[in-house]
Amino acid sequence: MLLAYFILSVLIALATFRAGGRRTVAMLGTAFFAVQFALAAALFRCGFRGGAEALFFTPDALGSLFFVLLAAVSALVFIHSRDYLADCAIADYRRYAALQMLLTAAITGAYFANNVAVTWIFLEATTLCAAGLVYFRHTEHSLEAAWKYVFVCSTGIAVAYLGILLLGTAATGGSLGYEALAREVTHGNPLYLKTAFVLILCGYSCKLEIFPLHTVGVDANFAAPAPASALISTGLVNAGFVAVYRIYRIMMQTEAAPWVRSVLLLTGVASLAVGAFFLRRTNNYKRFLSYSTVENMGIAAIGLGIGGPGVWAAVFHTACHTLVKSSLFLQTAVMHGIYDDYRINRIGDYMRINRIGAIGFLLGAVLLLAFPPSPLFVSELMILGGVLADERWWLAALLLVLLCIVIYSFVSRIVRLCYQPNQDAVHRPAASHRLAWTALVPLGAALVLGLWQPEALRALIERIVTI
Amino acid sequence: MILPLVILYVVTLVYLSITERFRTYASIIGLQGWILFGVALLRLHRIDLPELLFISVETLLFKTLLVPALLFAVIRRTHIHRVRTSGSSQFNALLLSVGAAAAAITLTAAMADGNIDRVFFGVALYAVLSGLILIVVRSRIFSHMVGFLVIENGVFLFSMAVGTEMPFLINVAILLDIMISVLMLGIFFMRIGNKLHADDADSLTNVKD
Repeated sequence: MLLAYFILSVLIALATFRAGGRRTVAMLGTAFFAVQFALAAALFRCGFRGGAEALFFTPDALGSLFFVLLAAVSALVFIHSRDYLADCAIADYRRYAALQMLLTAAITGAYFANNVAVTWIFLEATTLCAAGLVYFRHTEHSLEAAWKYVFVCSTGIAVAYLGILLLGTAATGGSLGYEALAREVTHGNPLYLKTAFVLILCGYSCKLEIFPLHTVGVDANFAAPAPASALISTGLVNAGFVAVYRIYRIMMQTEAAPWVRSVLLLTGVASLAVGAFFLRRTNNYKRFLSYSTVENMGIAAIGLGIGGPGVWAAVFHTACHTLVKSSLFLQTAVMHGIYDDYRINRIGDYMRINRIGAIGFLLGAVLLLAFPPSPLFVSELMILGGVLADERWWLAALLLVLLCIVIYSFVSRIVRLCYQPNQDAVHRPAASHRLAWTALVPLGAALVLGLWQPEALRALIERIVTI
Repeated sequence: MILPLVILYVVTLVYLSITERFRTYASIIGLQGWILFGVALLRLHRIDLPELLFISVETLLFKTLLVPALLFAVIRRTHIHRVRTSGSSQFNALLLSVGAAAAAITLTAAMADGNIDRVFFGVALYAVLSGLILIVVRSRIFSHMVGFLVIENGVFLFSMAVGTEMPFLINVAILLDIMISVLMLGIFFMRIGNKLHADDADSLTNVKD
């Protein structure tokens, strides 16, 4: 099943590179997403319990959960991109569409890989595809961002590779499969395991968009077309999360577990602090949303660092963040169509200009800031509860202070967008109303999850976190 | 035979830290490719054709021929021949390199056990640190690229330190890594020179807050 998926996806993506017109790209896109949803349906039919292994891939619960989200987000991104790039030459548009498809397939590979080296290979592949999307505009800014993205990601991934080699050395059997590693590293050299985890986390932080290599993700989101940023800031970030989480699960069965938790706590707090600080500082809505991703993935890392219910909360937080953040980035794409600008101090009066879009931003802000009935309220409350249960008072106080800064920054910026006097020329693309509505779809799904978490979803996450 | 090659590799790393000419950088990267090819060949326990082919492609074709050729092409196209004079002095660079060597030896003594080849482990660490130093202390993008290539070579050595025979996946991963470095050289060669007319990293600071 998975092998057929990869073959079909890559073939369709390659065909898109040669598409003759926009209609052909649309048809190939439809075929590509039919393949995605067919796989999602097949996974759903077997209850996300994991089917047969295919070479280096296993459709397990963790990969399945994030794949379903990826398929939905990627389809929405494709729909938005068609209008967002309406003025582009066909050669540019088909290259963009093909790269988006390849990126989606590469991310899927990272989700379902059952071998640490295969995960690494697919994450490396995502660098190539994402760099193509970042450089789409062919401007000096996009070239600089693409260069930094390729350079820092490659260096980071090389560092992660050192960690993988060290992890393989700590295992007795020599296999790099996750299941085999989990069995074999139990009594591995703790020093190797600790060093390996730090190297892997540090290297993958460029994908997960957490401290210390978070900056390249922010720059990439800034330079890429806004719909592509929705994919990079959610699907690709989730690939980093899945890669780190799989290593985390292995480490939890070793002597290095307390060290791993401490490292994740420190990294999470540092990411939250960086996110909170730069949310105040930046003057660009895309960078603003990217720093919000850094902050939210920091919260997820803190959840993993706490352990226990924090792990459940981290997985749930990451899944729900995907829905909210993709919606906000898609709304940003609509906003760009109207203002042709992302500068916070220039644009405003959005409530009057595009009421649906403004409501999307306000609702997205409410959900992202974890106000009830946000699903992030559930996860952040669980994480805070875990911190208090561990009697880490200093951490609880620090988290609350940083979250207050985040809330203040977010509310003030979104209110400015909606109500401050506008200083830029306004265009009214025909599709903006329709696109603003479609961008509300993932937000609606997040809202439902905030009010009611289906038993099947709870059980699925429970299965993911059970070691 | 392996030990003299490894010692020669260490000498190239020291020389890389003090040299200021980009042609020398490119030549040293080529030489490192030859050394890695020799080491990988000597470490083969038996003549296994697929693995021999893989090693040849990885080291001989990419590291020894293609990457240095691309580096020389970049030098010819951009007409940049030296590191910036305002950068770190040769003495400071040497001092940093010695510090990196000391750190690598200390880490190796602290970490390496029977599962790891100490010599390869130490040299690989030194290579990775040398690459990072090149990226941090030199301001030209070309130096950063060379730093990345040195790290790549360090990773290759590291994979030899932790296992006598590299599994297929490790080989694929390393090859992909090399492809990425070739892609980066391509970006530098084709795009950056044209668009930014820039030769140092200071000009790559427009995307920020």
